[in-house]
Amino acid sequence: MATVVAIVKDLTQDWGVDCAEPIGADTLLAANLQFTSVDIIQLCVALEECYDRRFGFQDLLMRDGSYVGDLSLGQLSAFVDAQLIREETTS
Amino acid sequence: MTVRTLFIGMDGATFTVLNELTKPVSGEPVMPFLAKIFAGGSRAKLRSTPNPLTPPAWVSLMTGRGPGHHGIFDFIRAEERGDEVFFTLFDSRDCKVETIWSIASRQGLRIAALNFPFTAPPQKELNGFVVPGFIPWRHLRRNTHPEGIYDRLKAIPQFNAQELAWDFEQEKQSGDQLSDHDREAWVSYHLPREQQWFKVAEYLMREEAPDLMAVLFDGVDKLQHQAWQFVDPAYQTGELSPYHLRMRELSLSYFHQLDGFIEKLVTAAGPKVQVFFASDHGFTASTEIVRINAYLAEKGYVHWKPIPEGEAGKRRDNSYFAYLDWSKTTAYCRTPSCNGITIRVARAPGETGIAPSEYQAFRARLIRDLEDFKDSKTGERIIAEIHKREDVFPGAAMTNAPDLQLVLRDFGFVSVKNKLPSVEPRQYPVGTHHPDGVFMAYGPGIEAGKMLGRRNITDVSSTLLYSLGLPIPSDFEGAVPPNMFTAEYKAAHPIVIGAATESGGREVQTESMSDDEKANIMEQLKMLGYME
Repeated sequence: MATVVAIVKDLTQDWGVDCAEPIGADTLLAANLQFTSVDIIQLCVALEECYDRRFGFQDLLMRDGSYVGDLSLGQLSAFVDAQLIREETTS
Repeated sequence: MTVRTLFIGMDGATFTVLNELTKPVSGEPVMPFLAKIFAGGSRAKLRSTPNPLTPPAWVSLMTGRGPGHHGIFDFIRAEERGDEVFFTLFDSRDCKVETIWSIASRQGLRIAALNFPFTAPPQKELNGFVVPGFIPWRHLRRNTHPEGIYDRLKAIPQFNAQELAWDFEQEKQSGDQLSDHDREAWVSYHLPREQQWFKVAEYLMREEAPDLMAVLFDGVDKLQHQAWQFVDPAYQTGELSPYHLRMRELSLSYFHQLDGFIEKLVTAAGPKVQVFFASDHGFTASTEIVRINAYLAEKGYVHWKPIPEGEAGKRRDNSYFAYLDWSKTTAYCRTPSCNGITIRVARAPGETGIAPSEYQAFRARLIRDLEDFKDSKTGERIIAEIHKREDVFPGAAMTNAPDLQLVLRDFGFVSVKNKLPSVEPRQYPVGTHHPDGVFMAYGPGIEAGKMLGRRNITDVSSTLLYSLGLPIPSDFEGAVPPNMFTAEYKAAHPIVIGAATESGGREVQTESMSDDEKANIMEQLKMLGYME
């Protein structure tokens, strides 16, 4: 979770976005941080660069054939953790 | 520390326009310094990639390899998964071969690459500076290399990241048929934007003096897409409206300003530095709309999916991606910018698409049908050239290319919309890409006043490495133009063919985009003239 929060803080430091609550697990990318679709792509790339691997974020961003409207940092972090654990288990 | 080689990219620059702007009309030419470069240097038409488009062309220029090797064919990469097609954005990690930035870096030279597409995310191992192109300002910091340089750039007087970067919102607001006011605003927008890139280039050259200093001015392309009728000499005859004259003056002021930036960069580099200029493709006029998927539907290859009711349906209707019935569609065009046809082949039992054993016969029939796409009045073929991918994209990445690459008779980009007629004239001509761009060289050791024969875009990277005193990798497809350098220079600096490039391949991206993401990217492409 700390890594996701750190990357999001780094990513948004110049944006001038006022988030009422401290950035954490419940922070929503679109509703609270004004992420657009392109920003979400860039966040995914930043996470993949940080861990030096591809995560297949379409499994997180798509549900039942439709794309999710918003995403919390907690959901994002849990997805990344699950991918890392799955990789460790299979390697 | 001194710059050894200066490279100035001009996206979409074409001699059709530059030749006129370097001639004195009444007094000084619009681009007086470029006129000096023409007189004192060498130049050649530069043949672009088979689809003369920013992604494959600039990546070929940066790698010395064709798209069949580097694997970048379009802005957007599609993945077919069962009965759905997912679209993803290409980025630097998808380039499967080594770039000149990497080749120079690992041989101890320092580079600066400013505003080049597909340099983000930047390779961490690069020795020098990368400020990528095609990245929104909110993501420049993370995609700028090395760490810390972004804050230094922010300290440049009048530095404005929002002016410098690719402005998605600005482009989102603009339609394919711009109003006169919006078109004027679009051209005006690029004047301060290029100044920002100039300031960054000037700063890094002064403070860091990298061995290879490279900056890309991409406003040439963007301006010409929307204002071609005001810059192409062929459209400056007859009675011209006050608006036309005002737009022409505004457009020429862009080129005059660019000329000033070039002069300052070349002067700052000093008289000992070799300077090279290139564009990824040229420009010409597109005069008709070709709705390729509508034509393929008439022939039974494409099957449209019914648009759903309600808001979802409205979004679908406004979307620029084909909404197709994948259970029946056998061949289609994915994006307007790809100008290609993808044949859907069933790779496993139960998958939709044609059987692999039918491929050759199916493709032959498809080619015949595309050849039959003709102007009903003149009988002329709408699609001037149809290339099989193995003929134009040989290489390990060929399987990601469209099965057929098309060249329209007016060099335009196709439309993928479900609308008839499948071909109709445009209300007014718009700028589109021509396969012949520009390649110029100037400075010590360069032949003066020479117009060379047409060169290939892969020659640029060979030439830049040669100028830097580095060997040309043996697997480069291009070569140093034989008559660009003086005999004395070549005798003193023999061309050396060295070891092959090192693996530039990074992992293949697997993310997909939401509908909004696709729409956002398509808005940008539409603005650039890849849409109706």
